[in-house]
Amino acid sequence: MSDETENRDMLICRCEEVTLGEILDAIDDGFVTVKDVKRATRAGMGLCQGRSCSRTIARIISQRTGKPLDEVLPKSYRYPVRPEKMSAALSEESEDESDS
Amino acid sequence: MKRVQREIVVIGSGPAGLCAAIEAAQAGAGVLLLDENAKPGGQLFKQIHKFFGSADHRAGVRGLDIGVQLLKQAEDLNIEVWLNSEACGIFDQNSVWVVRDKQHSITVEAQRIIIATGAVENSINFPGWTLPGVMGAGAAQTMINVNRVLPGHRVLMVGSGNVGVIVSYQLLQAGAQVVAIVEAAPTLGGYGVHTAKVRRAGVPFYASHTVKEARGTDHVKSAVLVNLDSNWQPIDGSEFEVEVDTICIATGLTPAVELAFGSGCTPVNSPALGGLVPVHDAGMKSSNESIYVAGDVCGVEEASTAMEEGRIAGLCAAHSLSYLDEAAFSRRFEQLQHNVNALRSGMFGQRRREAKESIVSSYGVHR
Amino acid sequence: MNRIVDHPILGPLADAEVVHIIVDGVALTARKGEMIAAALIANGKNTFRRTVKRDEPRGIYCGIGRCTDCVMTVNGIPNVRTCVTEVAEGMVIETQLGSGEWQ
Repeated sequence: MSDETENRDMLICRCEEVTLGEILDAIDDGFVTVKDVKRATRAGMGLCQGRSCSRTIARIISQRTGKPLDEVLPKSYRYPVRPEKMSAALSEESEDESDS
Repeated sequence: MKRVQREIVVIGSGPAGLCAAIEAAQAGAGVLLLDENAKPGGQLFKQIHKFFGSADHRAGVRGLDIGVQLLKQAEDLNIEVWLNSEACGIFDQNSVWVVRDKQHSITVEAQRIIIATGAVENSINFPGWTLPGVMGAGAAQTMINVNRVLPGHRVLMVGSGNVGVIVSYQLLQAGAQVVAIVEAAPTLGGYGVHTAKVRRAGVPFYASHTVKEARGTDHVKSAVLVNLDSNWQPIDGSEFEVEVDTICIATGLTPAVELAFGSGCTPVNSPALGGLVPVHDAGMKSSNESIYVAGDVCGVEEASTAMEEGRIAGLCAAHSLSYLDEAAFSRRFEQLQHNVNALRSGMFGQRRREAKESIVSSYGVHR
Repeated sequence: MNRIVDHPILGPLADAEVVHIIVDGVALTARKGEMIAAALIANGKNTFRRTVKRDEPRGIYCGIGRCTDCVMTVNGIPNVRTCVTEVAEGMVIETQLGSGEWQ
């Protein structure tokens, strides 16, 4: 958006309710990757795991630091790419295979 | 973890995934089709408008009818489908970790994997954007066309691209009033046909405008719009307020690349097609020999191109497992190439075609 | 009126079995096969939860089960995505406050 400093109180991460101001502060403190901003502010750590805010955060970092957007957008992802309970990760289906 | 073996695993049952599965099955391969949702079809079933293209592309057929046809084809071919099944990771380019029903894990050892995970809607931010009533254009489209419920009665559409104008038209068909369509750019972005229909229905377009703020306490009650100058900066004093109970955001899509990049597929930047996408060759093969990609995940276009890319991926994946003799393969491959190129013609298609050509030509460099 | 009773492309709304649900203690009716979020919006309810920090209202946002803004507590289970979960007879649905609690 246009003048970022005006809307510091506006939320960027809907799930964890992290504001634009908190993200800008983190960037100014040297957290200049999406992953680092996540660690510093919790943005992207909520229930949707960054689906709604990651790209926006990348754009904000790009605008704030001048780095091209494609260099800030994440290129690697860790598994699982969906939030899962530990029990689901460890639990197996029963021996008879079932489809659908 | 329990392990099963399959020849080809297709991840995502939207238009690309469905067509990939069907094409591969028709070639004789064994196919497992996965989808994280309770129902297959991706975003196809909310597309109640008629698609463009030639007769080959079922032009004049509505998205939802194509969806029904594809599902029937998949059923007739006895394609194995796992719904409520999330592909959480791909290991060593062949092992797919799947969590079923959010409860059980299973590993599928696949000879070939086709990633067709689509794209997600972008958001824009303005004070009040988290209020109930502010939603993605896709959310409104699902509500009206699939659930047959109006999310609101006075709608502001943000974004004049194809999604913006198509969903605006569908909101009108559903009985809502579209109070305005705002577009930050100085020119409108959608197909002429849809834009004209919406204009004729009396919906005002405001180019070089954006939303400054959404107002309301428990729900959107109004939106403040502001004029942008030639540097896309808001012009002080140009604000005006419109009464709306719904704001739909139609500001583009971003490929859902987590699985593709997580598994090591090399990214390439394609701004015209939504940003970072997995690089692929003309046969839709990624930088990994056993992983193919198709549809919006490797470039945001349309359902019709997704279908053709899916077919190409399915065909090539199956052929790489020795299905189809050379002659049959070549014939079909050429036909599908011709089809997908035909979809990327004209004023709008040109840009997409160039972007795709750039991705394919960088394949050798980026591997 | 929030239900689209007739539509130029989709035609008239077909009859459907009535499903009874209880939303924040109030008995409402829904249509069999529809998503909880749709049933609620059809009944005029647009706020599904309130956030932890700011106690702000949230409704549907992405509509396809990805953003988790629409979550409510359903039959005692919190964080149920109402836009992709079907209604069921006798379902107890509550506006979720914060991150919800298992009942």
